[in-house]
Amino acid sequence: EGDEMETPSLEEGGEIRRLGKRFRKLDLDGSGSLRVDDFMSLPELQQNPLVRRIIDIFDTDGNGEIDFIEFIRGVSQFSVRGNQQQKLNFAFRVYDVDKDGFISNGELFQVLKAMVGSNLQDAALQQAVDKTILGADRDGDGRISFHEFCTIVGELDFTKKMVVDV
Amino acid sequence: MAWLTLPVDLLSKYLGLFTDVWLTLVFGFLIVPAVFGVPFGIHKYYIKILLSIFEWTTLQMELKAKEKNNQLYKHYTSGIIVKVPDSTLKQEIQDLRCSAGCLSLDPRFELADVFVFCRKALENIIDDDVTKRFSAQKLENWNLLTRSNHNFRYINLQLLALWILGVLIRYGVLLPFRVTVAVTGIFLFVVLSTVVGLIPCTKTYLSDKVHLMGYRLCVRSLTGIVTYHNRENKPKNDGICVANHTTPIDGIVLANDHCYSLVGQLHGGLLGLIQRAMVKSSPHMWFERAEVKDRRLVAKRLRDHVADENKHPVLIFPEGTCVNNTSVMMFRKGSFEIGCTVYPAAIKYDPRFADAFWNSSKFGLMGYLLRMMSSWAIVCSVWYLPPMNRKEGEDAMQFANRVKAAIAAQGGLVDLIWDAGLKRTKVKDTFKEEQQQLYSKILLGDHEYQNHPES
Repeated sequence: EGDEMETPSLEEGGEIRRLGKRFRKLDLDGSGSLRVDDFMSLPELQQNPLVRRIIDIFDTDGNGEIDFIEFIRGVSQFSVRGNQQQKLNFAFRVYDVDKDGFISNGELFQVLKAMVGSNLQDAALQQAVDKTILGADRDGDGRISFHEFCTIVGELDFTKKMVVDV
Repeated sequence: MAWLTLPVDLLSKYLGLFTDVWLTLVFGFLIVPAVFGVPFGIHKYYIKILLSIFEWTTLQMELKAKEKNNQLYKHYTSGIIVKVPDSTLKQEIQDLRCSAGCLSLDPRFELADVFVFCRKALENIIDDDVTKRFSAQKLENWNLLTRSNHNFRYINLQLLALWILGVLIRYGVLLPFRVTVAVTGIFLFVVLSTVVGLIPCTKTYLSDKVHLMGYRLCVRSLTGIVTYHNRENKPKNDGICVANHTTPIDGIVLANDHCYSLVGQLHGGLLGLIQRAMVKSSPHMWFERAEVKDRRLVAKRLRDHVADENKHPVLIFPEGTCVNNTSVMMFRKGSFEIGCTVYPAAIKYDPRFADAFWNSSKFGLMGYLLRMMSSWAIVCSVWYLPPMNRKEGEDAMQFANRVKAAIAAQGGLVDLIWDAGLKRTKVKDTFKEEQQQLYSKILLGDHEYQNHPES
């Protein structure tokens, strides 16, 4: 549930070509796949607190590197032609660190901590996490499933926010 | 063996004739006018002809692409994605949360907040603002140089013929002329500068003339066509001149119009020879390698130089390294701490005629000069901006940023906060911590944030 990889929306030849160029440019050592270091060479990306989560989501086979297919698949989820489901899925996976299909209390805490750094005390963070799970958890299992996630987030107009027009 | 000597005789006669013609042309039309500062005059027509040829070539390529029914792959000079215009983290999160109908930004955490971070990350993965400043700018029209056309394929016979003609002209005619002028120029400059240095009186006047002549010859040797704007703002002797840095030629372009004192490291070889000759007739500041590390020493020498009214303004490039002329990157604050008047100048190169950016990771200096001399021309504009002084309560960094913004605005360049040194090093963690701070403020509401100490 929510784990299956959707097939990427068809992209025009021009888009793939441009992304291919970009991939080659990012691949500093020419190894054919991108590691965390290659991403971290982008200064603007270094300042993003969630960059490691996003790289982890791209890495579908879990080998620690992003090859070209994973790169295209990852980027296509933000395509103009992508559907709502894909985008919701992506955001869900930011939280679901162990990829078990549920956002646990610990996982939510982990991600929130990454976003605020040392600016909030752990106790306050834990409060926020507990409150969020309480509000979202319908079936009472103490964690948020994909379905529950969509119910909370689905009302918002996030399609604009989750689109990158290549 | 008479039959052998005959063709050799003929050859040497024609060669001799050829050399004579060559030398007359070069000296008569290029070197002597340059020495005395007389303009040559055909540059405008040269540029016009080249531009119309370039338009024709681009048209040919588009027609061909249309035939094959695909879009001509145009390099987007501003990036490969459409970006949302600058909005802050707070604005974006507010937009997102309030799309369901609430009115204000409640200070709490929402699951959907990650959307904003995700999109920003994706934007930067696909196209960031920084790394593209360190490689040559891409052109929309083709200017008959294969180095600027990454799509080069056989289009049609006419285009190929034109390109071959272009190559022949550039390497066979222009390059030798330019090399001759450059060599003569450097030779004359070194000799005259040393001679002037030996004459005790009227030193400044003569040395100025010699320096200007040297730079003029260098500019002519590159077929440099420079337009100077707002000359009334030219730097005076009581301050420093700062400009954006694209290539080592920047210094030559600026010094062609006014005398400056240069600052830099003392090199070996030919460059060192030129540097030593220069310093004999005019007070430039060359530092030994070890001295460069000592910032206080550098600052002191700068301060002393600026305080002396008889010495020329110092020319400094605060970015510290070459950037590709589409943006201005962070200025080092060292030169702004001295406390004197700053005369900013903006330099913008026209990319249609040559790619002036020196990508030091790709070619060395000699390779770069070769590329420059085999391009069509170096066309650029220099704007002198009105002098700026540090305001009350402004620190050196803020002052530097103000100057940077002025230069970027004038030259039509993008004003970036990033350090050009990022070409070689990584960003500090403080940027990430800043983002974390911003988000924390949103969670707590600005008022509450003040009351919460860091954990």
